[in-house]
Amino acid sequence: MNPLIPIMVILPITCALLLNLLHNKDKTVKILALIAGVALPLIPLLANYGMHYFGGYAPLIDNPTLAQGLPSTITNSSLYLFHPAITYSFASAQQLFIFVLGMVAFLAIFTSLNETKRASGVYTFLMFMGTAAVTAIVLADDIFNLYVFFEIAALTQVGIIICSKVENNYETALKYMILGSIAAPMLLLGIALLLGVTGNVNITDIIFAINHGMVDPQSPVLLLACGLILFGWLYGSGLPPFHTIKSAVYSKALPHGAALLQAFSVFTFAALGVIIIRIFAYLPFTETVVIFFSLAAMILGITMALMQTDFKRIIGFLAVGELGYIGLGLGMGTALGITAGLFQAVNEAIITAFLFIGFGTVLYKTGISDTNKLGGMLVENPKVAILVLLAGLAMAGVPPFNAFQSKLQLIQASINAGLPELGIIMVLLSIVTFLTFVKAYYTIYLKPKPQDLQIINEKIPRATIITMMVFLVICLVLGLFPQLATDSLQQLAVGLV
Amino acid sequence: MGLYDLIINRLQEIQRKAKEQEPVTNISASSTLAAEITLISSVLIAAVMLRRISDMLMVVVVLALVIGLVAAMPLMPRLREEQGDSFHNMIFYVIITLGVITALFYWGTANV
Repeated sequence: MNPLIPIMVILPITCALLLNLLHNKDKTVKILALIAGVALPLIPLLANYGMHYFGGYAPLIDNPTLAQGLPSTITNSSLYLFHPAITYSFASAQQLFIFVLGMVAFLAIFTSLNETKRASGVYTFLMFMGTAAVTAIVLADDIFNLYVFFEIAALTQVGIIICSKVENNYETALKYMILGSIAAPMLLLGIALLLGVTGNVNITDIIFAINHGMVDPQSPVLLLACGLILFGWLYGSGLPPFHTIKSAVYSKALPHGAALLQAFSVFTFAALGVIIIRIFAYLPFTETVVIFFSLAAMILGITMALMQTDFKRIIGFLAVGELGYIGLGLGMGTALGITAGLFQAVNEAIITAFLFIGFGTVLYKTGISDTNKLGGMLVENPKVAILVLLAGLAMAGVPPFNAFQSKLQLIQASINAGLPELGIIMVLLSIVTFLTFVKAYYTIYLKPKPQDLQIINEKIPRATIITMMVFLVICLVLGLFPQLATDSLQQLAVGLV
Repeated sequence: MGLYDLIINRLQEIQRKAKEQEPVTNISASSTLAAEITLISSVLIAAVMLRRISDMLMVVVVLALVIGLVAAMPLMPRLREEQGDSFHNMIFYVIITLGVITALFYWGTANV
């Protein structure tokens, strides 16, 4: 057992609770948040691969001493293989996901602490709590434990919006909660049906039960469970019909908050998507439905982004649209497609955070996010403008950035899978993504400055520039050496096929 | 009346309804036109994938979509109205999706 595996979840939760208690002590909050923030991406790099069984209850097959005294009715049955404890599984794919999530969380917290005059213990608490919850979602091999953290992640997202003090943030938070009160119980009901049919909540055991004829794979209750879990997945990730509220959620958060929120959505999407494919891949219909919703997210997200005038909403819709690429990879059901889809998840989390923080500098200087009222920002800070341009090029999939590699792999996978239409749509929508970005960039940076636009005479914090530079370096490194990510993801993808 | 004029008129109409004060600019009209073309072409390309079920079904659906989408143009202003922040619309689509997904999985999977 590796003690660092549960620490990936326990550390941010402990830090979050301490920050909440110390919320009036600004300096302590800053120091504690920075130390814990640095640890977030480091722990997964230091941890060894393996499983963690809470309470130490390993399966009997791994615990021969305990198994010796048991009757043969147990040791000769599948109980011998089942996982009695809540199990966390940590392999190369989880390591990469948690590392990237930790990096985005650290940089978002680092930026927020430097951009706000008074460090908010409550806001930082929510950022850490959300990170802990999504880390647990990525690690959990227990579907009920996953649901608990899914709910915690949803609540922290609502909290992050409420803390933003952006106009109408309460209304958006309330809408998100009400929609969640429909979707989350459906997910729980799906899990309950799965438990009812298989008698288990451990994902590996559920798959074993289905594959070894212990339950009828075509049981209508099992099929209904698949539908309900899929519906919960749409809510957690922001796929249609939840794309509108998800993009609104991003637009009502502060830029560093939005950067982290989208990373939550991306990794929840990838983790839950992988679980759905693991359990229900025997139903070809599942992959068709995943492709359908991913296509709908891409088409609706990207076309709606083109129609917006608020740059936070533009990135919000683009983020939803980019999720579709990940879903297409998963839905293709081939090792190359799944690897490329998961690689796209890693890239999207980084690039969208880069864009939110980059465009956030405009909000910092002007307090305005409506592109009709903006202009001439290139003169104000050309270096930041260039960094934002590079972020936009990365999102559109321009070489040598990381999304170029993942999108190219996705297109190759679609051709190999006999679905070249998906490749054509991906190319088309990448062009439109770039068009949308250019429109936003032109109206904010290149258009003449409106006479009534007031720009505060304050320098953009150095921490924000450093954050953008770090994101740029990660984009370039993954673009030039994609195998750093794909080698980690391939093992998981091959295991799914 | 050209498509460009149609789009501008439709945008103005929606903004009047929503009591939005911002003017309809060249950028917004061009964006709408680009989004319109993207939407139609993506849906049509996606429909071609029906060839995996039946070639005849694909031809019929693509032709029906071409006629339907072109006749209903401009689509994006309507879609924008529909995909706005209205809570009623959000709930409506959420409930519809839940119904369709559960029905399809419960009754449809065995036959696909």
